[in-house]
Amino acid sequence: MKTIVIGLGNPILGDDGVGWKVAEEISGLVLSKSDSIVVDCLSVGGLSLMEHMIGYNRAILVDTLQTGLHPPGTVIQMQLEDLPDQLAGHLVSAHDANLKTALQLGREMGVELPEQITIVGIEAQHVYDFTEVLSPDVMAAVPQAVQLVSDILQIV
Amino acid sequence: MQRITIDPITRLEGHGKIEIFLDEKGDVANSYFQIPELRGFERFCVGRPVEEVPILTNRICGVCPEAHHLAGAKAVDAVYHVEPPRTAKLLRELLYSAFYFTDHTTHFYALGGPDFIMGPGAPVAERNILGVIHKVGLEIGGKVIQARKYGHAVVEMIGGRKVHPCTSIPGGQTKGITVEQRAEIEQMGRWAVEFAQFSLKLFNDIVLGNPQYVDLIKGDMYTHRTYYIGTVDENNFVNFYDGKVSVVDPDGLRIGKYAAREYTDWIAEHVEPWTYLKFPYLKKIGWKGFVDGKESGIYMATPLSRLNAADGMATPRAQEEYLKFYEALGGKPVHQRLTIHWARLIELLYAAERWMQLVTDPEITSDNFRTLPTEKPTEGVGIVEAPRGTLTHHYWTDERGITTKVNLIVGTTNNYAPIQMSTQKAAKSLIKGGKVTEGLLNMVEMAFRAYDPCFGCATHSLPGQMPLEITIRDSSGQVVEILKQSC
Repeated sequence: MKTIVIGLGNPILGDDGVGWKVAEEISGLVLSKSDSIVVDCLSVGGLSLMEHMIGYNRAILVDTLQTGLHPPGTVIQMQLEDLPDQLAGHLVSAHDANLKTALQLGREMGVELPEQITIVGIEAQHVYDFTEVLSPDVMAAVPQAVQLVSDILQIV
Repeated sequence: MQRITIDPITRLEGHGKIEIFLDEKGDVANSYFQIPELRGFERFCVGRPVEEVPILTNRICGVCPEAHHLAGAKAVDAVYHVEPPRTAKLLRELLYSAFYFTDHTTHFYALGGPDFIMGPGAPVAERNILGVIHKVGLEIGGKVIQARKYGHAVVEMIGGRKVHPCTSIPGGQTKGITVEQRAEIEQMGRWAVEFAQFSLKLFNDIVLGNPQYVDLIKGDMYTHRTYYIGTVDENNFVNFYDGKVSVVDPDGLRIGKYAAREYTDWIAEHVEPWTYLKFPYLKKIGWKGFVDGKESGIYMATPLSRLNAADGMATPRAQEEYLKFYEALGGKPVHQRLTIHWARLIELLYAAERWMQLVTDPEITSDNFRTLPTEKPTEGVGIVEAPRGTLTHHYWTDERGITTKVNLIVGTTNNYAPIQMSTQKAAKSLIKGGKVTEGLLNMVEMAFRAYDPCFGCATHSLPGQMPLEITIRDSSGQVVEILKQSC
């Protein structure tokens, strides 16, 4: 089973960079443990994101969420199918298809895409100001998110 | 009518918001378009070596980082008073042409095109790339994916990375391309030209072949008579990478051209109390409000604007299409905003043809791709055409090359005033006597989507159906209706 873990976000927009932070820590854990897990950090959505998932059986996307329903720093796991469109954050863009549409397009074209796409989301608020620093609540959520991804990957 | 204060301090949560105020008759008195803003970029850059800034500005936009990277690269060259060698400019423009090809393809097939190919009245669920494929044929999906693959491959070969290039440095590039890479890029370029021609034909058959769409495109609802700007080369042909910015008036007369360092003589910014955004306008004409016409300094950027501000296209097939465009629409300049979609396809063809011109230039594989800077850094401006409009980067440094100040006017910023006007005009046509016409959201969205706007797109990228909230208030300020889409 080939798995890709993708940290999504913008590393210079404050809490929007938490996906990258988690992916970087996962990368450190995975390196010596497995050949079949790839970790990447991206700032794309829609069609580009779909293209990056080609050839994998499973994908884990780590990203910020702005549901307004949870305190900042809450870590949430869900499958892509369960994600309501308006929460899609980086998974959609004003300039191309949203991720669900992009995936459907890829599948219709016969491209190999993951059957399982899991989202690990971290609730965040401060994503509009340029800074490389995470806010304390979100920073505190990083170990929990890392643990969650490790559990999904079953890395000891 | 009661006076209502709109407080822009409320943080917009990643969606656009339009406040519409009705008069006593229930017609639209005013509307205000507000969007989220990213803040503190200048502060973030200050203190960093200036050659880092093009890599950072890359990250402002997840969709056109190539544009920011190259505008930044040119600004840094200017800061160091260094001229890159011809090969470096060829490489940068080749990367940029491939990027334009990808970007315009994606926009047409995934975003703008569906409005027409499926029809503006089609259900939202069908107005996307899947709808297009189901209607026109499965092979289009494959072609779009192929087009993107080729474009990204070229950007990666020259720019070092697929989407966020990093090879431009003061005085040129960090690397060139090999003879093998050149051949590969040429092969992909041939395909790109054919695909661009195919796309124009599709538009011609499906959109221009449909009288209902043609009426919509030519109609008054989406028409504004404003000034237009766009970068042109020394022959006054459209150029995405380099040249001077041409400015033409609503009758099509060129009132001037400015070099990058002269932009502050031409562009000023107007402030309104109801939004943090500033509205650029032409200094020489002046700010007269959100109005059309020769006396108003409001101008537009965008593909349509570039075609209006130029005398033609620098490549043969694109030039043929340019002439057909103006003939069909009654001459220059064209003011109907929905024609931006058509103009975009003409640019698509130009981008592909230009790709071929550049990749077959004998100096493209030369290893003279950098001039070492020797002068002390001070201040510099770099301008390129982003797909959405003229992009200006202005950097200031101390004598060590450490950034002290940054000013950016991004593509969409040029269009804030026109977007405000277009959405207001659409609202006025569609709300009469207090009755909100069905499809208001859709029609308003079409008004600004034609501009392919870039709003806070580096962060919580907005959903593919632009998340939008429209609040309609009666003449006493009471909320009459709230319409929401994707939020």
